[in-house]
Amino acid sequence: MSAKTMCVSQEGPANALALNRDNNQVVIAGRNVFKVFNIEEDEFVESCNLRVGKNLNLNFSCNDVAWNTLEDHTLATAATNGAVVLWNLGRPSRSKQQHVFMDHKRTVNKVSFHPAEPHWLISGSQDGTMKCFDIRMREATRTFMSNTESIRDVQFSPQMLNAFAAVSENGNVQLWDVRRTDKCTHQYTAHSGPVFACDWHPESNWLATASRDKTIKVWELTTGKPVLEYTISTIASVGRIKWRPQRKFHIASCALVVDSSINVWDIRRPYIPFASFKEHKDVATGLAWRGDPQVFLSVSRDCTLVHHVFKDASRPADQANPQGISLNSAGDVAFACRISNSNVPVSAKIQGYLRKTHLTSEQFCQATSSMHLYSVKAIRETRWMVESARRYLLSGRSLAEMCDHNAGVARDLGRHQVSLVWSIIKTLYWSSRGGPGDPNPPPAAGPLRDDNPVSGELAAATSGVTANCETEQRTTRSGGGVLNVSTTTNGDVQGSGAANGDAGVDSFAAEEENENEDTMEIFQNGAHLRLPSFSKTPMTQGDFFFGDGEMDPLDMDSGFGVGSSVGVGGGLIRGLGSTNGSQAGPVGVAGPADEWVLPSEAFPLRHEILDRSPPPETFPNHMEPSEQGTEQPAPLLSVAGLLACSIGLGPSMWECGRVVADALRHHAALGDVQMAASALLVLGEKRRSLDIDEATQELWMLGYIDFLGHHQLYNVASQVIQLSWLPSVNQLSQQSTTYYTCCGNCEKVLHRTGWLCDRCHSSEASLCGVCHQVVKGLYVWCQGCAHGGHIHHIQQWLATNKHCPSGCGHLCEYN
Amino acid sequence: MFEAHSINAEHKDLIHDVAYDYYGQRMATCSSDQSVKVWDQDDQKNWNLSANWKAHSGSVWKVTWAHPEFGQVLATCSFDRTAAIWEEIIGETPPQGERSLKTWIRRTNLVDSRTSVTDVKFGPKSLGLQLATCSTDGVVRIYEAPDVMNLSQWTLQYEINCKLPCSCLTWNHSFSRLHPPMIAVGSDDPSPSNGSKVAIYEYSENSRRWAKTESLASIGVTEPVHDIAFAPNLGRSYHLLAIATKDVRIVTLGPPTEGSSQRFDVQLTAQPEDNLSGTVWRVSWNILGTILASSGDDGCVRLWKANYMNSWKCISILRGDGTQAKSDTSVTNMPTMGQIAAPNQSSTTRYYKLGSITNPNQVQKGLAPIPISKWQPIGRFQRMTWIGSDFTSYGSPPPLEKSAKALCGKT
Repeated sequence: MSAKTMCVSQEGPANALALNRDNNQVVIAGRNVFKVFNIEEDEFVESCNLRVGKNLNLNFSCNDVAWNTLEDHTLATAATNGAVVLWNLGRPSRSKQQHVFMDHKRTVNKVSFHPAEPHWLISGSQDGTMKCFDIRMREATRTFMSNTESIRDVQFSPQMLNAFAAVSENGNVQLWDVRRTDKCTHQYTAHSGPVFACDWHPESNWLATASRDKTIKVWELTTGKPVLEYTISTIASVGRIKWRPQRKFHIASCALVVDSSINVWDIRRPYIPFASFKEHKDVATGLAWRGDPQVFLSVSRDCTLVHHVFKDASRPADQANPQGISLNSAGDVAFACRISNSNVPVSAKIQGYLRKTHLTSEQFCQATSSMHLYSVKAIRETRWMVESARRYLLSGRSLAEMCDHNAGVARDLGRHQVSLVWSIIKTLYWSSRGGPGDPNPPPAAGPLRDDNPVSGELAAATSGVTANCETEQRTTRSGGGVLNVSTTTNGDVQGSGAANGDAGVDSFAAEEENENEDTMEIFQNGAHLRLPSFSKTPMTQGDFFFGDGEMDPLDMDSGFGVGSSVGVGGGLIRGLGSTNGSQAGPVGVAGPADEWVLPSEAFPLRHEILDRSPPPETFPNHMEPSEQGTEQPAPLLSVAGLLACSIGLGPSMWECGRVVADALRHHAALGDVQMAASALLVLGEKRRSLDIDEATQELWMLGYIDFLGHHQLYNVASQVIQLSWLPSVNQLSQQSTTYYTCCGNCEKVLHRTGWLCDRCHSSEASLCGVCHQVVKGLYVWCQGCAHGGHIHHIQQWLATNKHCPSGCGHLCEYN
Repeated sequence: MFEAHSINAEHKDLIHDVAYDYYGQRMATCSSDQSVKVWDQDDQKNWNLSANWKAHSGSVWKVTWAHPEFGQVLATCSFDRTAAIWEEIIGETPPQGERSLKTWIRRTNLVDSRTSVTDVKFGPKSLGLQLATCSTDGVVRIYEAPDVMNLSQWTLQYEINCKLPCSCLTWNHSFSRLHPPMIAVGSDDPSPSNGSKVAIYEYSENSRRWAKTESLASIGVTEPVHDIAFAPNLGRSYHLLAIATKDVRIVTLGPPTEGSSQRFDVQLTAQPEDNLSGTVWRVSWNILGTILASSGDDGCVRLWKANYMNSWKCISILRGDGTQAKSDTSVTNMPTMGQIAAPNQSSTTRYYKLGSITNPNQVQKGLAPIPISKWQPIGRFQRMTWIGSDFTSYGSPPPLEKSAKALCGKT
């Protein structure tokens, strides 16, 4: 037998096909085609064209065709005009038409021979009747009235010789005894839609039915009552079904619409086809097994007749992904995989090589998955990050404090690298910055922290008059700056202690607050000119410091008085440094520095505003610092300015910004976007020195916010959004925040404007109580009496009155 | 260290996909039995079935969650050639003591494909509510819900013809404005002669169309690709793409090198030296993009992590199924991983011993056989403790005799 997939095209689509007893010939029949082919080894050979003759009437237009089960020359067709036509291939004449039964009133949908009694032919018609013909008698012997509108399929049972099944468009299945024409033996509703086809199982007493409701159902009919054994749900209306010979659980189906493939199902696994044949370009209209489980034929609306072999089928189940895996925000793993049974090759390697062998039917239908969850129990990355996110300080303290705190948090969680980065950031930015910029954290801050004695003193100094001690304080701090600067000049941050040690001041640099008294002492010793000796830089001219400090205390104070805020300190020192002792410094600096201070806000200022360094433009008349400024952005500015000018060691400056930026990039690349984003936030304005482009900054911030979202850390996320300096991030909390206003009278939502109600058709509720005009902007009202008006009017009114301007007598409270 | 739980999902056929929601507290599974199930985690960390419905008239291949900003929304795709959008609606509160079964309703059915829809993924939130589907006819379709409040209206924005049958796709969820919308598509076309099975498409704002910008030809993925996943990019300057093919591969897509005409600097970052898991079916990243989970024919989940040298190592193996004894041998021989122990398993004792320890430092911790607690069924939820820390050892849970039998018996 031929075992090749082969195909032949016709002039028109066939509606049905039938194989002869020996399975070596096939007849196809349609409206415009009616041919017999011999099935050769690798091709179809047309043996007879039955659609010949002068008057090709509707008798040639076939809905169905059947080949007699015994006599190889007898065919029957169901014609669209209601005729059942017998054909005799043995006729010598050109026309093979033998007899026409004109018994049905409407289209005949199906003809079928009895498997054991070859002269019994049964037909099912659109008129709702079935007729049994004895082809020897040339007339309908029996008529069965189904009492339904139309019969779509009718088929004799291979097991019960007198029984046949009929399916109809109302979803019913009827079982008849061929000897009883008055009444069917059984009738039941099988489907919720029209039933298009049925097929008896060749061995069991099963009847399969196919319906427009996209299902194939298998009914056990041994006992009196039909039992639904299996349901296969397919993706489209099912047009034809045929049990696969010698495979008890397999059935082939083709769809009426949508799906042009022919599927073979294992009814035990009713969800996915066991095999799928995709040779057709349009829906198949008929199929027939060739007596062999590996081979079948089909005709399609695409005008082809195809000989299918199983080895060319696609196996949808093989392509289906048998596993699912997912990781959640905590790092838990959910995993579902096929439960492998012992028949399946076990070793992964072998299995890999054997993939080409398809699953056997048994393996195919044993398809179940097991599902497991692996929840993380040990501390892992994400947990660290969540914990850190909760505990990190991002604002509200000085840089050093935040760095220390965050480093501590990281250390607590065992993240020593992260801890180290925080420490380094602190060392780099706080100590170097601490001196010159020192006054910046505390003084201007609205809420001064009591736990910071220095700032307290500084605040006193800032607000104070011209007390010597205060001046000394100031100089002390300035000196501190110089000290630190000088150590920085050495290019070794960690050597600051040593550098200071030379000068006899131990560990001055880092913890300024702690060292404050020491420095006080130093400077109270009046060692004006010791500064140069601190820094090993001969060119440093310390005079200007004390020059500033002592000779011009008023200047200083006025400077601070004007400054009253962040930038002053830095500006002052920078001024000192850059002017190299010229007295132009303090005041000149303080002025412009002010312009860089944001107006104070209603809530406590964030640290980066406080830390804000004067920008390079502050010194229009000093080229060097401004150049420095442009080259090395903010945080180091003052240091750099001082160094460069006083020492002239500009090129030897170590650009720590780049290193920190690299560190942050490294952490971000490792997935620790938290480090990157938090550091940017903590650094405040000093982030400018990092030279990280804004897109990257935005990426980090958004990434971190998303991470926080995954862990439902909304408070932290809001803080990050709020602290963000990037408009695109900052606006996140403002997006999709909508205020809905409603009418004060009827509470209907105001759509068009805020003052005219669509329902009341009045703007009465938005009249100003004072001027009696409609308020078209801010409307302020008393929570007690609900009267209100223009904010200015109400303010004015309340300046002199206590009661409601509307005259309601309410004692209005607007606080 | 992981604790293993087994969930009797009671799907009647293979489970094809598992998806955690954005917060990791809900989970959706889909199966060939045409149904989708949603599981919710309660306060005791137990997973309970909260919804179960027949979603399609064919196998449901993939299920995916939309960002919670858009509500509780799922997308599924199926063998029945459709993709569907589902939204959970809050019904009446159930009577005391009864667990509420939430109702999911189909908001839309996307019927443009003429063949099986093999994957469906929501786009990045920054693009609004976008959805990409791919199908075996090789077409990737990008849909958009112009009004995020109305999930029943989706417009087909773009159709990209990939020429090869598509099996999987992934969006690049990057937050950087420098990265245009990007998807990678994998094909399970079996013929190596059809070239690379991975293609990367990017949306060009200028031409307003999606164009193929990279085919990873230099990586040479010519075997069928079963799954593909961009790592979440929270702060990297480059993209990481994991590919599940005959083995697992991690590809870096960096910014192009100076003077190069290529769109990306493509580097194969990781490929196991000895592939022991057989065909790799799935890959999935954690939310930081630092850990990759892959699962293969041997039924094991392997977790991969890059060390500081940016070399990817298998950090643990999770055995999904204690019945496969033979793959143990392959596990012990895994050379790339160094610290490996094979579960020594017998049917009577549920102990896991470390078979071989190549790193002596870890002997102390791991040598003693660690008893495994027995199954403690809690409803349909079974739990056991599974000892095995990331770098020292791993074990596997005992056979799922009970549940496995129960499942097999049903089908």
